[in-house]
Amino acid sequence: MSQAVPPVLSVQPSRALVDEKFSVQVENLPPGCPVTVRSLYQSEDKDFWEAYGHYVSDHRGTVSVSEDVSLGGTYTGKEQMGLIWSMRPAPGSREGLRLRKRDMCTPMLVTISVYRGHEDFRDQTALASALVERWHMAPGVQRIEVRERGVQGTLFVPPGPGPFPALLDLWGGGGGLQEYRAALLASRGFAALALEYLKADDSKPNSPGDKYFETAFEIIRAHPQVAPDRVGIIGLCFGTLVALSLAAEYPMIKPRCIVCLSNVHHKSRKNTVTEFPEEVPERFKTVGAMENVLVWRDMGLAVLKMQHPKIPVGNIDCPMLLINGTDDQNWPTVEVASDIIKMMREAGKESLVTRVDYPGAGHLIEPPFSPLFRATNFMLSGTRKKVMMLWGGKTKPHADAQEDSWRRILSFLQLHLYGDPSPKAKL
Amino acid sequence: MFRSHVSVTTIRQVVEINTKHRLFSPGKLTPGKRIVGSMRWESSTRPAPLLTATPVRTLVDEQTCIKASFLPSNHPVTVCARMRSDEGDLWQSFAHYNTNSSGMFNLNSDHSVGGSYSGCEPMGLFWSMQPAPGEREGLRLRKKCVESPYTVQISLLEGHVSPNQDPGKEVAAVTAERWYMSPGVKRQEIRQNGLVGTLFIPPGPGPFPAMLDMWGMGGGLPEYRSSLFASRGYASFCLAYVGHKDLPGPSNTVNVGDSYFKAAFQFLQEHSQISADRIGIVGLSYGCYLTLHTGTLPGVKPACLIGINGPVGSSRELLHVNVTTKKSDQDQVFWSFDDQGYIIFKQTSLPSNLHPESIVKLEEITCPLMYIVGEDDLSASSIENADLIEKTLRAAGKSHLFTRLSYPGAGHLIEPPYSPMSRASFWVIKPEKLMTLWGGHPAPHAAAQEDAWRKMLAFMELSLRR
Repeated sequence: MSQAVPPVLSVQPSRALVDEKFSVQVENLPPGCPVTVRSLYQSEDKDFWEAYGHYVSDHRGTVSVSEDVSLGGTYTGKEQMGLIWSMRPAPGSREGLRLRKRDMCTPMLVTISVYRGHEDFRDQTALASALVERWHMAPGVQRIEVRERGVQGTLFVPPGPGPFPALLDLWGGGGGLQEYRAALLASRGFAALALEYLKADDSKPNSPGDKYFETAFEIIRAHPQVAPDRVGIIGLCFGTLVALSLAAEYPMIKPRCIVCLSNVHHKSRKNTVTEFPEEVPERFKTVGAMENVLVWRDMGLAVLKMQHPKIPVGNIDCPMLLINGTDDQNWPTVEVASDIIKMMREAGKESLVTRVDYPGAGHLIEPPFSPLFRATNFMLSGTRKKVMMLWGGKTKPHADAQEDSWRRILSFLQLHLYGDPSPKAKL
Repeated sequence: MFRSHVSVTTIRQVVEINTKHRLFSPGKLTPGKRIVGSMRWESSTRPAPLLTATPVRTLVDEQTCIKASFLPSNHPVTVCARMRSDEGDLWQSFAHYNTNSSGMFNLNSDHSVGGSYSGCEPMGLFWSMQPAPGEREGLRLRKKCVESPYTVQISLLEGHVSPNQDPGKEVAAVTAERWYMSPGVKRQEIRQNGLVGTLFIPPGPGPFPAMLDMWGMGGGLPEYRSSLFASRGYASFCLAYVGHKDLPGPSNTVNVGDSYFKAAFQFLQEHSQISADRIGIVGLSYGCYLTLHTGTLPGVKPACLIGINGPVGSSRELLHVNVTTKKSDQDQVFWSFDDQGYIIFKQTSLPSNLHPESIVKLEEITCPLMYIVGEDDLSASSIENADLIEKTLRAAGKSHLFTRLSYPGAGHLIEPPYSPMSRASFWVIKPEKLMTLWGGHPAPHAAAQEDAWRKMLAFMELSLRR
């Protein structure tokens, strides 16, 4: 044949949920050929995110991302999903970006391409490319906007008659309504209510009030497709504080289990994240190498030492899964977890707690394969001041933490919400 | 799936009207009481079992693994699959399983003990689907719109039941999507130079190897094999030649000749994203004859040929072959009928009944040829034609070019894998309703489709990509 055979790039599967893996294979390359495999994604905000790995084809002219070693790029080593979790804003992008999908009914569309060479691969046309869909929502999952009795959120219900175990899904101090974890949980068999309880940019402090969360719980329990005694809570950061409070201080709520990511247990009287900076001496609010980068970790340590009021976690009677990263720069979450366990031990309830600390992981422990957002733009509620918040984390350990913790979370939730384990059962 | 601004109270009312849900195995467990609006509830509510299909979105030639857990142990269950064709007909299947001692089952490893199929068949629910009772008769499942998926509802029922007679209670469900096109594949309707067809191009710069794709005398323009080829990295052009409104002349005759098929091949050669010397031709049934015929036209140099269940010649001259059922049709002398009055076309394509001048000069073939036989083909004399090809090529010293796949129990319509089969379906509805017998039995036919597809893709890889 006269014409050269063009390389073939295939991605299997081409459609998947965001917590599923894919395999990228390039064939029909010359043997021993240096190439760069690259992913490109344009977010809903129109920013470009990319990742890439440098490879050398084998004697058959094949590169297999799941089998071969990346020699450089945004990730190195044998990393099947490196093309997703090592993504970062493309050169020339705005600063401090965070990637959070808003529309659950459409997938992320990622282009995977292969280029000749390692350096300057961007100057060339791709040799081959493929398109991959990454979904947060499985087909058949119902998405229901909840605007009832003052409660705002989105309920996701798995397909089928139910009844399903359910979760109250709480994000952190950034506020707003983030649906993507709840959509994914529903795709894994758990009804989930993503609850908006802090507005993203109010100029006044937020006071959702006690009744708000009770009502949210009632709404979940009242849904005909939810098993009312199989409702748990999953929360991150400030959401952890709410989860612990609901479990410890609201006898009517009684969640069946709780999952706490990036633990916070100091009480917030005004339900804002700004009250800590107001009370804690200036010297603890570190400014990092970048201008206006807030590092709250040391402030959190000071709050721990200052005997600031805490949630009486010793009152909690349900299994708890505590997940934290040792490189969390936003709050000393590992130390908080230790303090929680100490309080549980004093109450004779240590056996209810399962704790996992991830070395090198930061604060924003998200569903698997999400890129790391080490520092992002953050709007301080109450003051409307835009800052750069340092969350921490190193790319590879953080990605490993997200993948491993999600698996543990789903196992924990299946055990406690689908199963009927004995009280002393641990994960 | 998407509702905006509907309160949960309203949804509860709707669900209560539509769902006659009861708790699983009411005899075994104390039902939980739920008092809406109050925080009190009594003993543990049994949640629905967890039924999963992994992955939930696939191409139709990919497998999905159906599993369930949190069921009672050693318990009978029925798994049911349902979907609607593009025309709105309901197709369904079901199978009986028993959970293991852990209350789980897995279609990849467990055996169906009854229903639409038996034994260990991971994809049985898909390929064993048949039209539901009460649906129109004589149906054949063919995807018209390849840009949208089939949505398959997979349900779990209590006990070993037949969903039609006594559906029982649905205790769990999962939705799977089956796609004919992967993301990024471009679909282009081609109406130029008299050509009528649809071109599918894979994503990326190319250039790509390509296939010219032809079907049988049923006519129209089935796109679903071409869209799958493009999803596997081959540009593919499905070509209409009879029974299409954009073709010249009456729709019941073939009104295009050699120049048409040659133009189709040249169209691919001249396409900027296609490698001109890496083009193959594939055809089923009469499309098989056209594949061999076009592949030996002067100036046409395919890189490979694939024929499925079709003749090496035509029973008449190509032009003006009449595909309908006029009483005077001379082909009718070759038709036979089964006891239900279904037409069996098989004899029409017996080599001895073919127009001698139409028989393709197979000895002139210079590229690899794969021929696929369904041994229970009642529509074409596939075995006899395969024998003739094999004999001719051997005499010409070209056996090394020939690959023959032969499948016992498979019928005429060897299509992409996991598709349901029809042993018979309507051939024509006007001027009178006539059914034809395609042949084949579900399990061996399904196995044939799966194996043949894999081997076809491997053959294309070898012939078009090396």
